[in-house]
Amino acid sequence: MIGSKILLVDDEEIFSRNMAKLLTTRGYQVTAVNGGDAAIRTLAEHPVDVIVLDLKMPGMDGLTTLKEIQKLGLFTQTLILTGHGSIDSALEAMKLGAYDYLTKPCNVEELVAKIQGAWHKKDSTVKHESREKAQKVAGAPTAFFEVFPSKKR
Amino acid sequence: MTTVGPLACLLNYCLSICLEEQGAIFDIKGACAGMTNTDINNATIASGTIPNTRREEQYKRFFRRFVFLTLVSSLLPLLLVGWGINIHYTRFARERLTEKFNREVENHHRAIELFFKEQSSRLQLIARTHSKEYLRQPGNLNKVFELINHDYPTLTDIGLIDHTGRHLAYVGPYDLMDKNYADTFWFKQVLQKGLFISDMFLGFRREPHFIMAVTSSDNGEPWILRTTINTETFRALVENVRIGKSGEVYLLNSDGLYQTTPRFGGSIMEPAPLPAVVDHEGIDLRFVTQDYPGRTSPSPRRIVCSVWLKEPRWLLVVTQSYDEAFNAVNHANYAVSVFLLISGLTILIVAVLVTRHMLAMIRRRDQESDRLNQQLMQTSKLASIGELSAGVAHEINNPLAIISTERQILMDCMGQIPEMSPSFKEQFNDSMSQIDIQIQRCKRITHNLLRFSRRTQSVMETVHLNAFILEVVDLMEREAQATGIKFVTTLEPELPVMISDPSQLQQLFLNLITNAIDAHDGKPYGRIDIATSVAGDGQEVRLSIGDTGCGIAREHLEKIFDPFFTTKPVGKGTGLGLSICFSIIQRLGGRIDVHSESGQGTRFDIFLPLRPPAELMQYN
Repeated sequence: MIGSKILLVDDEEIFSRNMAKLLTTRGYQVTAVNGGDAAIRTLAEHPVDVIVLDLKMPGMDGLTTLKEIQKLGLFTQTLILTGHGSIDSALEAMKLGAYDYLTKPCNVEELVAKIQGAWHKKDSTVKHESREKAQKVAGAPTAFFEVFPSKKR
Repeated sequence: MTTVGPLACLLNYCLSICLEEQGAIFDIKGACAGMTNTDINNATIASGTIPNTRREEQYKRFFRRFVFLTLVSSLLPLLLVGWGINIHYTRFARERLTEKFNREVENHHRAIELFFKEQSSRLQLIARTHSKEYLRQPGNLNKVFELINHDYPTLTDIGLIDHTGRHLAYVGPYDLMDKNYADTFWFKQVLQKGLFISDMFLGFRREPHFIMAVTSSDNGEPWILRTTINTETFRALVENVRIGKSGEVYLLNSDGLYQTTPRFGGSIMEPAPLPAVVDHEGIDLRFVTQDYPGRTSPSPRRIVCSVWLKEPRWLLVVTQSYDEAFNAVNHANYAVSVFLLISGLTILIVAVLVTRHMLAMIRRRDQESDRLNQQLMQTSKLASIGELSAGVAHEINNPLAIISTERQILMDCMGQIPEMSPSFKEQFNDSMSQIDIQIQRCKRITHNLLRFSRRTQSVMETVHLNAFILEVVDLMEREAQATGIKFVTTLEPELPVMISDPSQLQQLFLNLITNAIDAHDGKPYGRIDIATSVAGDGQEVRLSIGDTGCGIAREHLEKIFDPFFTTKPVGKGTGLGLSICFSIIQRLGGRIDVHSESGQGTRFDIFLPLRPPAELMQYN
């Protein structure tokens, strides 16, 4: 959604800057960092809706970063944007819970579309979780909600 | 004996060749090993034509050496055995023949000695039983002569001679009554010895004859009874003995003069060329190769056997042509030679045939190893290029991504400028879309590179190849509709279900069919044949994709699986399609063959195993 908070993690500074500019133009709140460590630090202070993560980075690489993010237990969705040859690592990332992947170079519109999808997923997860919490508090049977499970991608 | 010559010759030849080819003969194994491994590998890498001629030469050399070695190793024992048998048999036959010859000579010797003995005994008997006076009286000597010659004309004449050499009485065809023998060579000898037998001489009668004389004495006065042996009778005794066609018997005196006429050439009282008259005890047998001057003997090589008579001191010679005497041996040798020759020829033929067969086998092995080597080369080449291209693709993707974002920013900025000349705006939009097209092109290349180098985990599933192919063909047919290309599928209905990676198979078929369609570029119509069948004893599936396109030039055939090799115009093909196919097929444990004729079309035959290699299965 417009106004969603996006975290761009990419070691290519020019690419991050450009992409941040483009996404900002399209109404997103974008923070760009150039490594896994910086991403974790930023996330701890300012939670975001969607993370756009590069896989091949110096220092902490994409997959490790993703694992670390998962540990934080946020509702944030992660999009893999990689120029790396190995589709295998992208698939691996999806297994770890990444929302989707895109390969560089990509059209900004494509990225926006994926971000939208990720945002929706995050949104529904959040709602689902809060409902479950409310249900537990109220003591109502959980089965009621399982008849209409949230659409999972 | 006759094979010894050729045998020695052959041995000599073998030795000379051995020395000449020293090292080479014992190097066959090394040469072959080298031929099948390093040399050919290197040569194949360098070029496809050089090793063929070099290898043909090696094959020829191998052929020659092997035939030679086989011949030497089989002929040598054969010849040695043949030679051994021959020597043994020849020696045996020679001993037998010598024995026979000795016996013959012995018999003759005895017969002639007996003749002399008989004549001399008879003469001595007459001399001792009759007095000089009795024999002197007319008619008495005549009576004695007729008595002796009654059965057989043994004597030619007979005479009674007193101690002064005068004839007292004579019976015979010549008029010798007035001859005085006191000065003749025999007269004194007979007076000394009592018995004398002369050599052949001409004497008063001027024709060859020999005499026999004995002495007796009346009242201390010696007298001599002299007789001439009938030359014809004596010669018949000796000369009429026939030994084969070339055999002859004759007598020589101690001076080497003929005492009888030999059968071939020469005549009585002439000097004999052979043998050298040497005193010896018993029977002497020798093989003489000397020529007989003026004689028409069939062969210069003769067996000469001789023995001395006691009285007179004459040499009895029995001789025969060596070849005739050893006819049987020669015959046997001839048979052995023919046998050896036939055996040798058989060995030669067998050696040639066996070597040819072996060479054909080696040729097949070499071709097989060439094929494997080429595959290995291709695989390793692809592997190293794969790693390189993955790095390159990644490095290019990042700048591409930046260019793409920069373009997007520019586009965004343009949108915010309200007034602008329409021509600039048009040009700007054109350039931007061109930049995008080129970015997409680069992306396609890098993605292909990445796909080519990718080492993905295969997802193995059961695949119904026919159905699979029909799906792909259906997809492609629509794309190819405008090109006038017809798809013809000949699918084996009983094709077994295979286990393979469908996504990789799809990539494979798409690439091959795209190539097949592209090959018809510039042709108004064409055909793509797709066929499946069972191959490799039911363990493999064969898929062939043939087109009627432009074909592949001979010089390009070796390179089509190399990455980045393309004959398509710049920007149309990346040159990775067939490389990807090749690596997919390799990964799936299959192989690919290509047959192409320039201008006629190309056919790819892909062989895929029903079960993929074990290392792929363990991922599932």
